[in-house]
Amino acid sequence: MPPAEPRGGTRHVPRWLLLAALIFLVARIVTGIQEGRRPQALTELVQWETADAGLARSRTSGQPLLLDFSAEWCGPCRVMQREVFADRRSAEAINGLFVPVRLVDTQRETGRNAPDVAMLQQRYHIEAFPTLVIVPTNGSAPTVIQGYPGKAKLMEQLTAAGLKARLERGPIR
Amino acid sequence: MNSTLLVGLWRQRLASPIRVVILALMVLLPPLLGSVVRGIGLQALGDAIPLALVLAAGMIGQDVSSGVLQLILARPVRRSEYVLSRWLSVGFGASIANVLQIALFWGLTAARGWAPSAETIASFAAGRELQIFGVAATMALLSSLIGGLGDLALYAMIFVFGGIVTMIGQTRQSAVLHGIGEEIGALLSPKIDVAQILAGAPSWFAIATYASNITLCLLLAILIVNRKELSYASG
Repeated sequence: MPPAEPRGGTRHVPRWLLLAALIFLVARIVTGIQEGRRPQALTELVQWETADAGLARSRTSGQPLLLDFSAEWCGPCRVMQREVFADRRSAEAINGLFVPVRLVDTQRETGRNAPDVAMLQQRYHIEAFPTLVIVPTNGSAPTVIQGYPGKAKLMEQLTAAGLKARLERGPIR
Repeated sequence: MNSTLLVGLWRQRLASPIRVVILALMVLLPPLLGSVVRGIGLQALGDAIPLALVLAAGMIGQDVSSGVLQLILARPVRRSEYVLSRWLSVGFGASIANVLQIALFWGLTAARGWAPSAETIASFAAGRELQIFGVAATMALLSSLIGGLGDLALYAMIFVFGGIVTMIGQTRQSAVLHGIGEEIGALLSPKIDVAQILAGAPSWFAIATYASNITLCLLLAILIVNRKELSYASG
C-alpha cells in the first residue's frame, strides 16, 4: 500500500508563514517610512573630540589621530555612524586605538566651513564623504580610507592602521 | 519539524571531507589569531556568514541535481517541511560551530588575560546566531533556484553587484542607489544589532527587515520547490 499523502497535499504552503511574511513586510514598510521621516537618534559610543583637543591629546599620549570627515546630508556617513560608531565593540576598539576627531562639512548648509575643518580638508585633499584619515604621531604618511566599505572591512582597515601606527611608535602597552 | 530531515543534512555535510576541513579551519584559526594579537578582540572572529555558507551551500540544489530530492519526496513529506527542515538544519549546525568558535576564543583569550566581558561575548554570540539563521534563509532561496553549488556562485554575484551599486551610490551621492545597495546587503547579510537593543535603542526597521527577509526567503523557497517537476520522467 502506498504511503498516505500528508493532509493538504505535499505542496501545502504553511499559512502561518504566509501570514508572518505579510505582517513583517508591512512592518518593514511602516517602520522604514517612520525612520525615514524621523531618523533614529543615534547613541554614538566613540568619544569624539574637537580638532584642537584631539591634536593636543594625540601629541601627549602618542596615539594616532582618527579624523572622520563627514557631512549631515551624507547617507553613507549615517550608515557608518549607525553600524560602526554606535556599535559597542567597534567603538571600544576605536577609542582604544585612536584619538577620534570628527570634522563635519557645512559647506552645503551654510556656504562655508569652520576654519579647522576647511584647513584639514585642504591638507588631506578631502574630495568625498565619508573619508577617514589616520594620522600617526611619528610623522609618517597618513592612511586614508575613502567611502564606507562596510563594517567588517572598515574595522579591519582601522585595526591594521591603528596597530601599525602604534607599532611604529613603540611596543603596545 | 522532521528530525530525520534535520539530521540527514548534517550526515551529508559530515560525509564531505572538504566541508569538514574548511569548517574546522574556520572554527579554529580566528580564535588562535585573537589569542595572539592583543587589541584585535572579537574582530578576529568577524562575521558568522562563512560558517553558515559552508553548511548551506547546495542545501537544496545538490539534492535536486543528485536526484536525492525525488527519493525524499517519494515519501509522505510536505515540500514546505523539507525546505524548513533544511533551513533549521543549516541554522543549528552553524550555531554549534559558532558557539564552539566563541568558546574557544574566550578560553584562549582568558588564558592570556585579555578576554572580553561575559556581556560582550553574549551579545556578540547572539548577534551571530541571528545572522546565521538569516543567511541560512537567504541560501534556502538561492539554492531552490539553481542546482548543485550554484547558490554559492549566485550569492557571490549578488554580493559583487551590491558592492558596485553601493559604491556608485556613494560616489554619486545617490540615496536611491545607496538604498538598493543596503537592501542587497540586508538580503545577503541579515543581522540585528543586539548591542543596540541592549543599549535600549533598537532600530525597529532593522528588526522588521530581518524578520521580513527570513520569512519572504523561506516562503519563496517553498513556492519555488513546490513548482519543481521532480518525477523521474521529467529529466
